[in-house]
Amino acid sequence: MPNDAIAPRIKRLLVEKLHLEGLTPESIDDDMPLFGDGLGLDSVDALELVVALEKEFALRIQSHEVGREAFASVAALAAYVEGRLATVSDAHAGS
Amino acid sequence: MSRAVVATGIGTIGAHGAGRERLAEALAAGRPLAMEIDRSGGWHSPAGSRYAALAPVLDLTPWLPSAQARRLGRPSRFALVAARMAIEDAGIPALDGLRVAVVLATSFGAVAFTEKLVEQILIEGPEAAQPFYFSECVANAAAAQVAIGIKATGANVTLTQREAGPVLALARGAREVAEGRADVAIVGATDEMTPLLHGLLDRFHATARAEDGRDEAARPFDGGRNGFLAGEGASAIVLEAEEAARRRGARPLARVGRTASGFDPTATASDWGHGGASLGRRLAAMLDGQAPLESIDRIVSGASGSRRGDRLEAATLRAAWSGRSLPPVVTPKAVIGEYGGGILAAGALAASGARFGFPTAWMAPDPEMTISPHDGSPLDAPRRVLLTGLAAGGAAAWAVLERI
Amino acid sequence: MPGADPGPLPTDIVITGLGAVTPFGWGVGPLWEGLRRGATAIGPFSRFDASRHRTHLAAEVPERPSPDRLGPRVSLADRLAVASAREALGHADLDLRRCPERAGVFFGSSNGGMLESERFLEAALRDGRRRARTSAIVSQQLNGPGDAVARALRVEGPVETVSSACTSGAMAIGGALRALRRGEIDVALAGGADSLCQITYAGFNALRSVDEAACRPFRADRAGLSLGEGAAVLVLETGAAARARGARPIAVLAGEASACDAHHMTAPAPDGAGAAEAIRMALADAGRTADDVDFVNAHGTGTPLNDAAEAAALHAVFGPRTGSIPVTSTKALIGHLLGSAGAIEALATVLCLVRRELHPMPAAGTLDPAIGLDLVIASPRPLRRSRCALSTNLAFGGSNAALVFTSAGRA
Repeated sequence: MPNDAIAPRIKRLLVEKLHLEGLTPESIDDDMPLFGDGLGLDSVDALELVVALEKEFALRIQSHEVGREAFASVAALAAYVEGRLATVSDAHAGS
Repeated sequence: MSRAVVATGIGTIGAHGAGRERLAEALAAGRPLAMEIDRSGGWHSPAGSRYAALAPVLDLTPWLPSAQARRLGRPSRFALVAARMAIEDAGIPALDGLRVAVVLATSFGAVAFTEKLVEQILIEGPEAAQPFYFSECVANAAAAQVAIGIKATGANVTLTQREAGPVLALARGAREVAEGRADVAIVGATDEMTPLLHGLLDRFHATARAEDGRDEAARPFDGGRNGFLAGEGASAIVLEAEEAARRRGARPLARVGRTASGFDPTATASDWGHGGASLGRRLAAMLDGQAPLESIDRIVSGASGSRRGDRLEAATLRAAWSGRSLPPVVTPKAVIGEYGGGILAAGALAASGARFGFPTAWMAPDPEMTISPHDGSPLDAPRRVLLTGLAAGGAAAWAVLERI
Repeated sequence: MPGADPGPLPTDIVITGLGAVTPFGWGVGPLWEGLRRGATAIGPFSRFDASRHRTHLAAEVPERPSPDRLGPRVSLADRLAVASAREALGHADLDLRRCPERAGVFFGSSNGGMLESERFLEAALRDGRRRARTSAIVSQQLNGPGDAVARALRVEGPVETVSSACTSGAMAIGGALRALRRGEIDVALAGGADSLCQITYAGFNALRSVDEAACRPFRADRAGLSLGEGAAVLVLETGAAARARGARPIAVLAGEASACDAHHMTAPAPDGAGAAEAIRMALADAGRTADDVDFVNAHGTGTPLNDAAEAAALHAVFGPRTGSIPVTSTKALIGHLLGSAGAIEALATVLCLVRRELHPMPAAGTLDPAIGLDLVIASPRPLRRSRCALSTNLAFGGSNAALVFTSAGRA
């Protein structure tokens, strides 16, 4: 799945699941920091996002992966998800 | 230490809308604030209750900007809005440097999020449980959000004692101030009503329903009463030390007088018992001496229209007044329903002289109890108001509010 | 209340009875046995099917040895509460029937009858909403366990349930202390009860707060809490009432306090400021100083944030002496009992105070040099001095509570 299809889905999850009223998915920059300065999300938002990502992309995300570099920005998240999905499809291809 | 405590501000949100003026208007009009509740979920009995006192959709942004409301469940939103309204009403410019306690009561907590979470877990699986819902599901979420929202670092207490909760919260918060552990206490209650919860209350025959040719309505003390009007919302009162309040030029609404609580062990888990005689003795003991019976000239009764709850309330009052006639009794829950702490705001309004209209749904007294709500005619402002709250399950609480 | 004539108010509030149902078994005896051994009661459980949850361990109360007389429409939390209360009253050798209006019940619960409600909803989803029997959820509310105790013992005085998450039990005990001190009652049953339930288990897992292994409070590799269930009740009386009836106090409940972080819904204030304030105020309330404290029963959940914040609070209060005050966490053995945690930990604190030995935590993980506490691990620590103990709780939502216990018969 091409990376640029994932980023818009992540942005939609951010707005819908985190109830970021007044923001549209398009207005979120790919490289904007999600936590701290930027979108200003906190630890509970991160966990909410994890549940949303797990549902959306049929993944299981380990606790230690949450909040690290993978979650720094939409671009980083999209790359992380793409990498995980590639592993899954590789595994299927191999079986 | 035991210093005098006064109420200096009221914040309230519910079926009456937002603010004490809306509540005062509704109480003066006497009409039940009932609207149809969604019964399509299939939880209700077919011939059961159709109405609840639901909070209308309101713009709460003057007190709660969207960014702050983002993750809050309705009970937390109601509570934080009510708290901020009350602080505004009290005219306290800033809480910095003050030790502020928060004592809130809730009967059911964050019902909607709890329902969603349980459904997620049971239908989709535990991995679908959303952190947002869980963090707001704890009963103390509202009190915690109030503390965060107004920066209150004193005691943070959530009482879960159903219909006795609001009066217990008033008493507990007043003690925090009286005994010097807090400069200010925000006391109140918050609840939300959902179709599922309403349906279950209906199934338990707790809520009023159309029956025997009578329309559905909550009729406290009425002979044909068959349940209460389920409500939602939040009310908050600001309590301060009287001396500090006067020093800053505040105009207190009422002084908090005697408070007491007790228990009727003849109750069952979801109903009221028949221990009116012993509860009455307890109430009489509270009114002995400092706030004698004769000085109580208004009763703001927690009677809600429940068959057994109102009977117990009547028995308790009769026992406490032992044969003497009762002062005028008003029954705000006929208008605003049960839950959400409106009874506290109504009590504070009563103590400051507000008018209570005759409940429009009233038909006739119960011959067993012969208590009728006040007929709505103008009354002198009361010297002392007795506020009552008897809970299903057995808890009972009373408080006196004194006019200043 | 303001202006009310106080009369001679009680100055000492004593503990005369203890009762508990915990993952170590029904009764204080099995609890102490397990605590002393530093055994863990955290393991696979069957309260509900945990196979699809992120983690699979908890500390579960074992099957009740003999049936109670409470009937079917009672929640598990109610049963645990009533059993604990009966044991405590029996221990105190106290008959409440003589003066029921001078007795009160102060309880804490986070879940009430939630377990039973979940089963009801499950049945409703499966069999249809109209057919699900509402008798299953008669005692659903959080005030269920406390009310059940009050009804079972026919109490007529004040009955209050506090639901402030992890501080509920401690705040209930604190509320009882206040009511006794102001002369409103002569005896209080103070405690808490909670059963495991799916919403809490899934919820804490959704917050990634639960350790896959048994929790390891204050260790370097701590990874979260373990959940548990249980109940505990303390019988509290005014010293005068106890002496009048010839009862021997077990210990003294000397002080209590609570304070709020007002910081964040799920994370404690990192500097533990609210907890430190609660501790200081409780010590002041007890007429004691930090130097008097002989040991601490910490909240110690095993989450990275709680333990760090709590350690910071203890350092703020005790200063350079902190590293030489023995500290334990009961949660290391029986998990986090939520609404009853404060009560069970208070009870454990009293047991340690009286027996002059601090129960250990199981050996696990490595010490965290940043914590800087004298943790009791593997074997019980005999206490050279056992006169004053502190029990702390830091709650979800930012509430903090502290209780101070002192030994009976000493100034």
